[in-house]
Amino acid sequence: MNQPLAYVSPQAKVATNVVIEPFVSIDKNVVIEEGTWIGSNVTILEGARIGKNCRIFPGAVISAIPQDMKYAGEDTIVKIGNNVTVREFVTINKGTKVNYETVVGDNTLLMAYVHVAHDCIIGNNVILANAVTLGGHVVIDDWTILGGMVGVHQFVHIGSNSMIADGCIVRKDVPPYTKSARQPLSYVGINSIGLRRRGFSMEVINQIQEIYRIIYLKGYNVSQALKIIEAEVDALAERDEILSFISNSPLGIMKGYSKLTAK
Amino acid sequence: MNQPLAYVNPQAKVATNVVIEPFVSIDKNVVIEEGTWIGSNVTILEGARIGKNCRIFPGAVISAIPQDMKFAGEDTIVKIGNNVTIREFVTINRGTKASYETVIGDNTLLMAYVHVAHDCIIGNNVVMANAAMLSGHIVIDDWAIIGGMVPIHQFCHIGAHSIIQGGALVSKDVPPYTKAGRLPLSYVGVNSIGLRRRGFTPEVITKIQEIYRIIFVKGYNVAQAVEIIEAKVEPTPERDEILSFIANSSRGIMKGYSRQRNKNLFSDTV
Repeated sequence: MNQPLAYVSPQAKVATNVVIEPFVSIDKNVVIEEGTWIGSNVTILEGARIGKNCRIFPGAVISAIPQDMKYAGEDTIVKIGNNVTVREFVTINKGTKVNYETVVGDNTLLMAYVHVAHDCIIGNNVILANAVTLGGHVVIDDWTILGGMVGVHQFVHIGSNSMIADGCIVRKDVPPYTKSARQPLSYVGINSIGLRRRGFSMEVINQIQEIYRIIYLKGYNVSQALKIIEAEVDALAERDEILSFISNSPLGIMKGYSKLTAK
Repeated sequence: MNQPLAYVNPQAKVATNVVIEPFVSIDKNVVIEEGTWIGSNVTILEGARIGKNCRIFPGAVISAIPQDMKFAGEDTIVKIGNNVTIREFVTINRGTKASYETVIGDNTLLMAYVHVAHDCIIGNNVVMANAAMLSGHIVIDDWAIIGGMVPIHQFCHIGAHSIIQGGALVSKDVPPYTKAGRLPLSYVGVNSIGLRRRGFTPEVITKIQEIYRIIFVKGYNVAQAVEIIEAKVEPTPERDEILSFIANSSRGIMKGYSRQRNKNLFSDTV
């Protein structure tokens, strides 16, 4: 914490064993908990709440004001969980009056150049690869992985345990457990490798695959598919998560890939 | 202005009420006018001329030399207007001997990671979303909105009130008042929402739509369409702006959207 070459506002609450490298600038109204490392040239502005054992790499800017024309100086925050890694030149903006906070969950990894916009809610164990850019109000559920240079449109919801290929532009909601790719973004299978790594049993994975076969491959529209799933697939935590995700998707979910769909 | 942890060259002209955060570095031959805020770790190099009430966020680099092999150390500048917001890690290069300056108009917003190359001329009230990348000599007219992660080819001209979809690739000129999207970049309609917000009447918007229907939808080539518009559409300022934009377009304008072409483009991906 003792760093003569950094600027730490006397009103910031920084735990004693936080390591602060040279040329860091920490504003007032900032909380940083134990064990966190702040690399050189990092700027942490008003409203940042940073958890335990995080690592923030050189050049990152946390809690700058939203890039939103509506923003009128409201007192909002950025909440970062524990064990979060924030790599070089990441920018995380604080919330607007819509929900007053931007949230990054525990154990999440934000690789270099990632941008997290105002009011985004990122879950636990998420990985955003280099230069992923989120629009405002994006929700990303736990264990999701976004490939490099993915751009996400505002208000999009990305389901848990899903995986999005590099370079995609995401304009629609991405349901949980799926793999998605191509332009326009399409379902290309379920994230079976990710699920296996996280201890899902073969039976559960097969069940999820069955559900997505009904949604994306059999040529039904979404509301038909939902009815069939409710009638024919046994109730299961994963089934219910998928159904509730789809019925709570105001933007609509991504499409199936047309070549694979039954004619 | 009094910031013991920043470096401000004694030859820089910085107005007294400019706020400079720690670890800022300001070179000689820089002018910064009243009311501007300079966030921490910003670097402002020789040739920057920054207007009133601008906000420059942490990590931005203004007026570094052009990324251009021709550049031989000429004395060129970056001119930034008033009320401009420059977000984190934006890079704005100064001009080459082609036009000696890079210009950003008033009230413009450049979101995080935007790059403005040498000799670009950006108008007033322009919004460039995250990581939009301009190459050299680009002209962007007033009120245009460039979506996130859009790269623009050098020497392109983007017309006023146009809007470009996030993630699009721009290698042709985008005429005024249009919406552009898809791959390759195509006309996908008139920017009617933007025009309405800025007080254009429904009559004017419909007129503009008619003009673009002739250019992009009816199957004429550009020269034919221009002839028809000149003959049949009564002159309005908007009509004349569109015609002069097209006549002065050295790279040519973007295409209309064709379902067939798009189908061919993706047919090989399985």
